[in-house]
Amino acid sequence: MEQDYLLLLPVFFPITAGLFTAIFFRAKDRRKAMTVLVSVSLVLELLLTLLCLMRPDGFLSLWRLTDTLEVAFAVDSMSRIFSGLAAAVWLLVGIFAFSYMKEEDHQGLFFGFYLMVEGSLAAQCFAANLVTYYVSFELMTLTSLPLVLQERTKEAIMAGLKYLFYSVAGAFMALFGIFFLAGFGGIGTFAPGGILDGTKVVGHEGLLLASSFLMILGFGTKAGMFPLHGWLPTAHPEAPAPASAVLSGVITKMGVLAIIRTVYYVVGPDYLKGSWVQTVWMTLALITVFMGSMLAYCEKVMKKRLAYSTVSQVSYILFGLSLFNKTAFIGAIAHVIFHSLVKNTLFLGAGAIIHQTGKRLMTELRGIGKEMPVVIWCFTLVSITLVGIPPTSGFVSKWYLATGALASGTGVFSWLGPVVLLISALLTAGYLLPVTIHGFFPGADFDYSSLKKREPSPLMTVPMLLMTAGAVLLGLFPGVVLGAASRTALLLF
Amino acid sequence: MTGNILLLLVIIWPMAGALAAWLIGRKTKTGRDLFADGVTAAELILLAVLFAGGIGGRGGFTETAFSWPGFGGLGLTLKLDGFRILYGLIAAFMWFMTTVFSREYFKSYRNRNRYYLFMLMTLGAVMGVFLSDDLYTTFLFFEIMSFTSYTWVAHEEKEAAMKAAGTYLAVAVLGGLVMLMGILLLYHLAGTLSFGKLLSACEALPAERRGTLYLAGGLMAFGFGAKAGMFPLHIWLPKAHPVAPAPASALLSGMLTKTGIFGILVVTANLFRHDPVWGTCMFLLGLATMFGGALLAVFSVDLKRTLACSSMSQIGFILVGVGMQGLLGEENALAVRGTILHMVNHSMIKLVLFMAAGVIYMNLHRLDLNEIRGFGRKKPLLAFCFLTGALSIGGIPLFGGYVSKTLLHESIVEYIHGTVLGPAAFWKASEWIFLLSGGMTVAYMTKLFVAVFVEKNAVRQKQFDEMTRYWNEESRAAVTVSALLLLPMGLFPGAVMDKLADLGQAFLHGESPAHPVRYFAVGNLKGSMISIAIGVVIYFGFIRTVLMERDETGRKVYVDRWPAWLDLEQLLYRPVLLRFLPWLFGGICRILDEYLLGPAVRGFMAVTGFFCRLLDQLTDSVILLARKTTHRQTGIHREKPIGDHLAYSLGHFLDGCIHIANGTFLRKHPIQKSYVRGLVEFEEETIRTNRIITGSLSFALLLVCVGLLFVLIYLLFV
Repeated sequence: MEQDYLLLLPVFFPITAGLFTAIFFRAKDRRKAMTVLVSVSLVLELLLTLLCLMRPDGFLSLWRLTDTLEVAFAVDSMSRIFSGLAAAVWLLVGIFAFSYMKEEDHQGLFFGFYLMVEGSLAAQCFAANLVTYYVSFELMTLTSLPLVLQERTKEAIMAGLKYLFYSVAGAFMALFGIFFLAGFGGIGTFAPGGILDGTKVVGHEGLLLASSFLMILGFGTKAGMFPLHGWLPTAHPEAPAPASAVLSGVITKMGVLAIIRTVYYVVGPDYLKGSWVQTVWMTLALITVFMGSMLAYCEKVMKKRLAYSTVSQVSYILFGLSLFNKTAFIGAIAHVIFHSLVKNTLFLGAGAIIHQTGKRLMTELRGIGKEMPVVIWCFTLVSITLVGIPPTSGFVSKWYLATGALASGTGVFSWLGPVVLLISALLTAGYLLPVTIHGFFPGADFDYSSLKKREPSPLMTVPMLLMTAGAVLLGLFPGVVLGAASRTALLLF
Repeated sequence: MTGNILLLLVIIWPMAGALAAWLIGRKTKTGRDLFADGVTAAELILLAVLFAGGIGGRGGFTETAFSWPGFGGLGLTLKLDGFRILYGLIAAFMWFMTTVFSREYFKSYRNRNRYYLFMLMTLGAVMGVFLSDDLYTTFLFFEIMSFTSYTWVAHEEKEAAMKAAGTYLAVAVLGGLVMLMGILLLYHLAGTLSFGKLLSACEALPAERRGTLYLAGGLMAFGFGAKAGMFPLHIWLPKAHPVAPAPASALLSGMLTKTGIFGILVVTANLFRHDPVWGTCMFLLGLATMFGGALLAVFSVDLKRTLACSSMSQIGFILVGVGMQGLLGEENALAVRGTILHMVNHSMIKLVLFMAAGVIYMNLHRLDLNEIRGFGRKKPLLAFCFLTGALSIGGIPLFGGYVSKTLLHESIVEYIHGTVLGPAAFWKASEWIFLLSGGMTVAYMTKLFVAVFVEKNAVRQKQFDEMTRYWNEESRAAVTVSALLLLPMGLFPGAVMDKLADLGQAFLHGESPAHPVRYFAVGNLKGSMISIAIGVVIYFGFIRTVLMERDETGRKVYVDRWPAWLDLEQLLYRPVLLRFLPWLFGGICRILDEYLLGPAVRGFMAVTGFFCRLLDQLTDSVILLARKTTHRQTGIHREKPIGDHLAYSLGHFLDGCIHIANGTFLRKHPIQKSYVRGLVEFEEETIRTNRIITGSLSFALLLVCVGLLFVLIYLLFV
């Protein structure tokens, strides 16, 4: 096969740039130079990624560790969706971070690791087999850890450790699964519909199911699936807002991508459909959907509430994947994109509030909409999107998820799924809309004279506005997203 | 995009106008008010043009359609037919009138820009609901409408307003999601959501899937009914109306409830056409809503609350008509026409009544009947407008309400005369509940009219009488024009009402009755007369005796006899939904979240840790055991080497010398070492060396001796 060396660039360029930033920009006084370097790198990375996406499918075998273990990259329709999303979001959040992190210490390290994580994301998106994926997955865990540790407080360090422990535990479960799959021919190049050698599987179906389940559970850790969701609500409140935003909005999606690769590109849905793995997976996903929303509803700390919301919403995607139904699959892929835009905006909004006012609790937000109308307007629109109110994008993905569930023929789950999704949507309204309500309707006895304009700088509002516009407009005109998702789904079903 | 783009413009125009009004409002308030008037007027003209263009054709109106595939996922389809143009025109008219009226009403309000923005947005959304031709489009605009109208209820931002708005939003979101579940189920069952295809798709469903269809319909009716104010989801209505600004109340009551009815009509006409089971359910719900609303209205002592409860009751009348459509099957012409006409009547009447209430509120900022009592005396024009609305809604002959209520009543009578489901006595009782509710309508409207326009106020009557500039020209024109429009509807039912019914009935798959109804025939007047008689009895026998009492000064005042605890929301919904369920499920989730994984991991760690510790210590403990038992070590006895005495004594002697020296001349640089150890080691070393030397010499001597022996032997034998 012809080697496409261009694929190396989006992977190794940000890692190099990140190392350079982390090493050479430790002093605070060279902030301007660092900002220029990082922003140029982010833009360049987006362009490089787009360049790789626009071209026909490429393949690159980088090196062989042994005769079977190969590090290889490839572009397919799935990697196009995820890598484009990751690079675009990374740039927007990066712009926000310049303004947000202005007064912070250790900026060089933060932005250095921020760039390195982006390299690992590209590596995951373009990974052509499980081994490459696993290596990049671990690289992402390790490089994203410093983002959680940024504040250097005791809580941040404890949260970082929790993140690390959960991630490592999950990754090892997945690795364990990979060992077994390797025996069935599971470490070859990904192909839609699975690559296992049927003759080797005969007689070992139980082992195959168990190892697939372990991989779903292990990679599900990153996606915040019950029972290994615990790191999300701990790590998010401690990390700086841009880091929480990408943790929630993009890094959790890499867990999703890992599960897609495992289930749909290695094992193949045929083995799992109707098995106990599917039943347990659907159950866990639905438990997570409900539990996340319920706990978000009961939570007072704003960022923690958003973290629980992520737990719930990412499991919408996992539920859609677990149905093995084309419509639900399209819904799941669409929800990856929509949730990413929404959750990033929500976390940036929370960050803007914290940055401008220092308020961290839901109960302190009275009149906030009068102080920073643009931010809270963005917050409101994406809240409505997350609840799934038409004509915003969240509605489109939920529509596909629910109709897919009804048509999936999974017995009780085919109607229980939509019911849980809708109950969760109700709870989502319950935990997000109070910000808008108290923000814009402070009450008749509100003291308007003490009101100050606290709108953050355009560097913070413009990324939010862009992502909000994306979340709303993609709902009005979802053709692009649905088209890309259905092209992928056509290969799989 | 295909079809008549003007249909899209009907929706887009007010929404674009909303944004423009908001931008203008940041610069000039007067300009914004006039611009909003212009937007709504243009909307009305646009619909009038569409009406004029489509008049004639089959069913009195030529249908036009518009579709935009791919919009929002499943595509947007709009259609204009007789019923829709009728309701579109009414909506545009109501918006125009209330916008004109708003200018004076909102003079002293804060956040007016917000009001205008959302008022015009809601107009677009309401138009979208009425023009929609598939349930997906309906749902899309229905949800936009729910959210944008939230700001109306919350507008005053007082505590009661915020609470009512919270209830409104909760009911709207809950209703919307339940409805969505119903739509999803229906889509799964029928494979289409388009109104035109649903009827045939649902009739083709096999009998065993009929149950799921009822479920889907029920879920949708829940969602639409929540907006319509159907029992038991009416809770938001009596709370939201008194706190919302009057123009908004008029629109909420007159138009937004009708969007809910629109949805129920769609479901009834397309999913359950001529279905008696569905009809019975709707009829029973309608009966409960109709009677419950009337009962609440009779007890209420707040002007706008009474009107709100009245709205609920009138929605009940409409739902009774909806139920009758199913029960009467093929012969449902009267029910179809009664339903449509009562919707039209109620929208127009509530517009007048709420604006009249708004006039009172903007002068007095009070709504309690005891406080506003007597305000209307010597204000003949206001009294005329209010009275027109009151008589019409009371179903008095020669007014519009009489026509629609008669049609609804006659449809019940017609059903009783045919074959009925279940016991005949039940249907007879239902007819009497219908007449009783009509009587209660007369009673509570009389109560309002007498209190405001007839009775004198004990304290402020003089002040009230001096208020001659109580409304400006714009407001006066809006209220009066709306009231005057009511008159022809009642006076010429054949010319006006029958034409409206002809226009609308195709939407409900209804047909004109075989012969036109003679509204003023004795048989038809009888029902109305019974209701009026009941109303008179209730007013004098109940309202003026039980619901009024004499205060200290001996004057009769209105008292609220409704038990405060008897409130479905406070009694049931809020405790269950806000306390119990979050407590229960939150607790379970908290346990799953915190006390499942953590203790499981800790327990696992403890158990495995214990075993690993055991394995770790295994070898060591075997060795330890051996050392304690079989391989016990013998004690090490340190024997003093023999012959060290000299070294000891010499060492001790030297140490003593040093001690003395340190105490005297070496005080500055004392010697710290002891000589004993050094000397002992020296002696032992010497002894050891000597032994070796001794040993090796004797060995050498022995060998020499052996050698000498061999030499001797050699010498002897060789």
